[in-house]
Amino acid sequence: LRDFLLVYNRMTELCFRHCVCNLNYRLLTGREESCLDSCAARLVRANHRLMGAYVGLVPALLQRRAAEHGTPAGPSGLPASPDPAAGPAES
Amino acid sequence: MDPLRAQQLAAELEVEMMADMYNRMTQACHRKCVPPHYKESELSKGECVCLDRCVAKYLEVHERMGKKLTELSLQDEELLKRMQQGTGSA
Repeated sequence: LRDFLLVYNRMTELCFRHCVCNLNYRLLTGREESCLDSCAARLVRANHRLMGAYVGLVPALLQRRAAEHGTPAGPSGLPASPDPAAGPAES
Repeated sequence: MDPLRAQQLAAELEVEMMADMYNRMTQACHRKCVPPHYKESELSKGECVCLDRCVAKYLEVHERMGKKLTELSLQDEELLKRMQQGTGSA
């Protein structure tokens, strides 16, 4: 419920920022209302799609990480440490 | 869960969300109505009026978003029910 309410607040902020540009009136204009309706629908659909993609990709990612964790290589996600200097530089 | 405890948690969550909404509204309206010119400390009449209207509009947008979200989630529920009925009867 908390996550849903946070999404609700974020949606309000985003759509307000994008759709409400004319502050000469106290009430919403027709243009602003249709923009807000489209904005809400688009954000909800985008959220659904995002969730679907995330749910599809995360199991493979976790499997890969578990496989890497099992190998004796360096820590996952970090580049390999460079080789130490060969010797003192010649003057 | 104890109903009284559930009610208390719901009230706390509502307060938290109202505070979050207030902070976002403040940020949005400040961005729209108060230009970053700091020569004078007083707000002009135009800026004051803009802030009043901004708050009114933001609250209206908040209400509209809530109704739209409810409508969209009901539509999704209907679609899901129809799909489940479809697979059940097949």
